[in-house]
Amino acid sequence: MNRPVRHSLLLLLLASACFTLATLLQPRVATWGQRHAADSLMKVVLGDGRRLFANHFFVQADVTFHSGYYPSIFDRDQAPKGTRHLTASPEDHAEHDPDPASPGREKDEDHSGHACEMSFLGPPRDWIEAFGRRFMVTEHTHLKGGKEREMLPWLKISAELDPQRVETYTVASYWLRNLGKFQEAERFLREGLRNNPKSYEILFELGRLYNENLQDPNRARNVWELGVRCWDERESKKDKPDLLALDELTVHLADLEEKAGNLARAIEWLQRALRASPRPEAVQERIEDLQRRLAAGGSRPSP
Amino acid sequence: MNTVWALAGVVIKELYRRKDFYVLFVLTAVMTLLMGSITFFNDPRIASYLKDICLLLIWISALVIAITTTARQIPAERENRTIFPLLAKPVTRGQVVAGKFLGCWLASGIALGVFYLFFGVVSASREHDLAVIQYLQALWLHWVMLAIVVGLALLGSLVFAAPSSNATICFIVVLGILLLGRHLNQVALQQPEPLRTVVYSIYFLIPHLEWYDIRDLLLYDHPGLRWTDCLLATLYAGVYTAMLLLGAWLLFRRKPLHA
Amino acid sequence: MWQRLCLCQVKGFVLAGRWQYAAPQNNTESGSKNMEVILETRDLRVEYRAQNGQGKKVAVKGLNLKVHAGEVFGFLGPNGAGKTTTMNVLLGFVHATAGDAYLFGVSVREPIARQRIGYLPELTYYYKFLTAEELLRFYARLFGIPRAEADRRIDQLLRLVELEAARKRPIKTYSKGMQQRVGLAQALINDPDLLILDEPTSGLDPLGRMKVREIIQRLKNEGKTVFFSSHELGEVETVCDRVAIINQGELKVEDRVSALVEKHQANLEQIFLSLIGYQAEVTA
Repeated sequence: MNRPVRHSLLLLLLASACFTLATLLQPRVATWGQRHAADSLMKVVLGDGRRLFANHFFVQADVTFHSGYYPSIFDRDQAPKGTRHLTASPEDHAEHDPDPASPGREKDEDHSGHACEMSFLGPPRDWIEAFGRRFMVTEHTHLKGGKEREMLPWLKISAELDPQRVETYTVASYWLRNLGKFQEAERFLREGLRNNPKSYEILFELGRLYNENLQDPNRARNVWELGVRCWDERESKKDKPDLLALDELTVHLADLEEKAGNLARAIEWLQRALRASPRPEAVQERIEDLQRRLAAGGSRPSP
Repeated sequence: MNTVWALAGVVIKELYRRKDFYVLFVLTAVMTLLMGSITFFNDPRIASYLKDICLLLIWISALVIAITTTARQIPAERENRTIFPLLAKPVTRGQVVAGKFLGCWLASGIALGVFYLFFGVVSASREHDLAVIQYLQALWLHWVMLAIVVGLALLGSLVFAAPSSNATICFIVVLGILLLGRHLNQVALQQPEPLRTVVYSIYFLIPHLEWYDIRDLLLYDHPGLRWTDCLLATLYAGVYTAMLLLGAWLLFRRKPLHA
Repeated sequence: MWQRLCLCQVKGFVLAGRWQYAAPQNNTESGSKNMEVILETRDLRVEYRAQNGQGKKVAVKGLNLKVHAGEVFGFLGPNGAGKTTTMNVLLGFVHATAGDAYLFGVSVREPIARQRIGYLPELTYYYKFLTAEELLRFYARLFGIPRAEADRRIDQLLRLVELEAARKRPIKTYSKGMQQRVGLAQALINDPDLLILDEPTSGLDPLGRMKVREIIQRLKNEGKTVFFSSHELGEVETVCDRVAIINQGELKVEDRVSALVEKHQANLEQIFLSLIGYQAEVTA
């Protein structure tokens, strides 16, 4: 047997051994972990470590929203703490957000908190800092005129990296709705719901999409009611439940029922909201108003 | 000056005959195009994420090219012993330092030009528009910053024996300055004395490379820089580079060479 | 007198333009040429800091050498004798601790002193991404040789070292012998009056050695001065007019090869071994 034939046979033998070993090992490997069976490339490559990067990309969306004007970790240490801008809907959100049911108090607080947080650049301490500022973005602005779409890729990447981060879906959906991309918003929220089946936050956002944008109050009602059930399941036994979310869900449901002329049902939701709202007196006023209308025999839809 | 240009010519030839540049360019192009092929939320007008990624890759590639090319120049001359026939010609060590610097800087500039051309094409194809002034300013300042980086790596190649250790140290220093340089004064103010003075001194001594990173201005369509600021930044880089080259020359002049 | 003449020549080069000076212009003064000192060391002393940091090591002790125009001069000595250190001083790589060295009457501390020399180091790996032609063009630019003249010389040298066929190939594809020959070509690019060759045949096969020897002989016939170190004593005996043998930094002998052979009644190898003390040890 000449040398090339011998080498070929040896190669064939090694290939056969590899194949045999692979078939033997495959079932065992399947029990070692789930990474290989992951549905996304990020999960296969990075494993659970990908979650670390998810926050970076979420922040990157915020940086994009501010056109590069953003505090560094050093600035944020000094800046007052506040709720995250992208999720807190401050002044720019108010421009787009005609939602009458959104509690105004948070808006005001967030607005001033955000402005304060974003005024992280004090007077320059030395000439290097003063000169350096000429090369960086020093003006606090927000994207507008449809340019908000530029932050969406970062949110999508963040969601890919950490599908359990609910905030990403709700923020992205908010902006998708504002940009008129209702189908995309629904698809993204559904994706979020698949990854977070009990998320009342996503359900709330989905309900808003159906109610406000797709003009489908019945689906909105179903989704919000499911949201309340999920809230009960997840939050009711906690020492510090997320009352704000319950307040939003119930107030929106009450509005929906009021518009549909189901005043009794609306009162029921508002009575639920009474226990969750940070301004119970305002809710109580609404309940009384609805009760008066109900007593007057008005179960017709409100204008 | 003819000697300096001749030496620079060899470095430039080295850049385009080695595979490093092509590998980095292809990698940048493939990654950018791959990201560009994804349409997020059915909106083909979304562009800034692509520009951001492309610019980040360009910055990384440019630093890799500038540092690795420079870090190996003088050690390779010594290792391959080409320094001996070179210095046996009427060439001074100062000319060697100047020639190597010029070559590395021009080579980095050529590479940078190709990368920015690609960026321009990507940007224009997505947005059908290009902020030319900001684009040119970003390219110029990036190249000017690389002069300091090349000077630093050249000085490092005379201090550290191995090009790999020099390149690693240069990367750490440059990335450290780019990320933290701007905030060192804040850090200094939080320290007790005498650490405060030490950190503040470092803040004044380090080359402020972060000034030259105007990616945000380019990405988010901010108005361009004032030309006087560009000029002052160029002057600062020029002075800093001259200082580094002087240091390199002084070190090289004293270095005995044993054939 | 000679020193002043050489200085004038260097000045003449400056005035006449860098490349022109390399032309074999000394033929008119052939009468005095053989007496002209091309390379000289005066009480040359080189000290190094010892590697362990303790004290100093003297590599060269008061070396006095003179190499005349048109000579092929062999510089011999065992390993560590100080040959390379002396060459390093001549080429300006190392500064002398005391004494001085001159090329064409100009101190080696001046870069201009190297305008008229060609140097072939031992085992050099030239820029492997360049072709032989590009390498020679690069070195020609360092001498300020105009392009047309450089092209002419490159053609001539590549023919001389028999690398014409490989001129467009990158040096990384060259064999060791070819690299040594391209090294020789670079040493000759400025048409030097003095060639300093460090172990020019080191690592070459017999054919390669023969070719290098032929080139040295040819250069000698052209009136060039060649100063070279070698361990190949047979080769030195064949090629050299005069030799100097140093040991432990000290000059042991400097004379014509024929005179040495006649004086010691032995071949160069035996003389060399005797002078470095090897024979004494054997007999002891």
